Amino acid sequence: MGVTEAYREGRDLVVERPAVWLLVLATLYLAVDLAGKLAGVTLTVGGTQLVGGDLAVSTFGRFMKDGLIVGLVVGLAGVGLSMTYSILNFANFAHGDYLTTGAFSGWLAAYVTAFVTLNANVPFGEIFLLNEPALVSIVSTPLAVVVGVVVSAVVTIGSVLLLDRIVYRPMRDKGGISLLIASLGVALALRYVIVIVFSTNTRGLTRTSGVPALDIPAIDGVVPLDAHEVTLVLFAVGLMLGVHLLLQRTKLGKAMRAMADNKDLAQVTGIPTERVVRATWIIGGGLAGVAGFLIVLERGTLNFNLGFRLLLLIFAGVILGGIGSVYGAMGGGIIIGVVSRLSLVWIPSDFARVAAFLVMIVVLLYRPEGLFGGVTTA
Amino acid sequence: MSQGTGDQRDIEEASVNATNFLTAEDSLLQVEALDAGYGDLQVLEGVDMNVEAGEYVTIVGPNGAGKSTVMKSVFGLTNVMGGTVEFEGEDITGLDPDEIIGLGLGYVPQSDNVFGTLSVRENLEMGAYILDEVPEDRIREVYDRFPILEERSNQKAGTMSGGQQQMLAMGRALMLDPDLLMLDEPSAGLAPDLVDDMFDRIDRINDAGTAVLMVEQNAKEALRRCDRGYVLVQGTNRFMDEGTALLNDEQVRQEFLGG
Repeated sequence: MGVTEAYREGRDLVVERPAVWLLVLATLYLAVDLAGKLAGVTLTVGGTQLVGGDLAVSTFGRFMKDGLIVGLVVGLAGVGLSMTYSILNFANFAHGDYLTTGAFSGWLAAYVTAFVTLNANVPFGEIFLLNEPALVSIVSTPLAVVVGVVVSAVVTIGSVLLLDRIVYRPMRDKGGISLLIASLGVALALRYVIVIVFSTNTRGLTRTSGVPALDIPAIDGVVPLDAHEVTLVLFAVGLMLGVHLLLQRTKLGKAMRAMADNKDLAQVTGIPTERVVRATWIIGGGLAGVAGFLIVLERGTLNFNLGFRLLLLIFAGVILGGIGSVYGAMGGGIIIGVVSRLSLVWIPSDFARVAAFLVMIVVLLYRPEGLFGGVTTA
Repeated sequence: MSQGTGDQRDIEEASVNATNFLTAEDSLLQVEALDAGYGDLQVLEGVDMNVEAGEYVTIVGPNGAGKSTVMKSVFGLTNVMGGTVEFEGEDITGLDPDEIIGLGLGYVPQSDNVFGTLSVRENLEMGAYILDEVPEDRIREVYDRFPILEERSNQKAGTMSGGQQQMLAMGRALMLDPDLLMLDEPSAGLAPDLVDDMFDRIDRINDAGTAVLMVEQNAKEALRRCDRGYVLVQGTNRFMDEGTALLNDEQVRQEFLGG
């Protein structure tokens, strides 16, 4: 009886949801293909290469590492986006530019600190406009990096609170769509204020020479992990852990979860909702600012589009994880980061984002509430 | 509103009764000539209501009469267009809910009244948010009153039954040891065999000295148990008397209690 039932269920599934089977087959094919590539085995049928090929294990390891690092930044930035969504009920399109704000302010502070500590022989104007290339590294000027992280958080929090005061707070009860459109305006305003000061140039800021790297052995080579990447991972993981402890252990964090759960009830329970909203902006904005600073430390380059370009990945991560869930934002961000890098095995890097969004769409088709959906901020 | 002259007389009688019952200065909650609604829509018209210290008062009436709106207005959640709400002699119109709670007024809204994703204990902690420290003695007292909450203290509130959630919601409102507990339809959505138990628990809360203002669909049972009741119709007080007197009133029985 068990066999017949299993057979019938299986047949129903194939008949009723053929897309699921196509998806499973495609995923299996990619997995087999990846295994073949890594093992260096090629299966050719009738002159056509079916699966396999050649991919160094160390290259694969490098993709995974890059993916995890991008994912940590996307996840860190996503926390704030998800929190403002669940507590203020709107998708904040200016969130990406909070990263840009953090990156420029943090790097400016890092540059000034480096200028002072290194006694660099460059005109201060070049320092102030971030035109002097590759001045800061974690090895030569560790203090500048720490100052940069702190200032990126502080300046971003300040800007975010100011923007809340003059734009979002007067519109608090105007509904998600109006706020979303207002946030697009905020995004453009913020971005082009930055352009007015710093121009649209892309600058290289991180000094890579003399930065030690840890070579993680892979079967046929090594996966280098340099000191900047380690710094990023430590800060990102530490901050995520901090958010977790805040939400679970502190009164404020519990109130945030309560407010994300049921705003009206939070109000009649006596939770001072405006204060919780302010705390939400502070935490979300601070994390976004630091994420912006850190991604530049790892990539080395900065331009005014940095945050806006990342915003799409951040949204993808937040939605994939289940919008409104802080842990979903972290998990979803990491998955999006890894997928976008791992896709390089098959497709050129110009299409990496396409792969990330494809995975998001496919997950949402079968789990519309997102991976961690329904456990909002808990 | 065009009403018959008979209705007018009832209202006048009601207000005469009200003045016989008390003098304004010793009321715990005093609502006077309250006009309130949502946006431009006016729901309440000239509602007078009062609750004495330690008293048990219910508001009954047909659907849409504005029973819940009275409570929301006391808490500043509606658009108050006229009249006053005084608590312990202080005008509380325009205060924020967290300030009102600090004065000693607890409120349990109807349904959806627990934070489902928070644990039972966290729900109770939220009830005492305005205090600097979590008041362990108050949590102890709530656990003693509702032992099931202690058993489930680490469970997510959303996974509990309707009756348990209602107890949790009351427990949360009792965290600051309020002088007045406002309950909006505490029996709504409960299995019939739990309704009596819920009313017994409310009796015991009132016996311990907390005044209770309750809105209730289950009008007969509510009037049987309370000290005093109001019958609210179309946003206006129609009758006010002792609970048992209302139960025995011919007109109230025929019009609102189904004979």
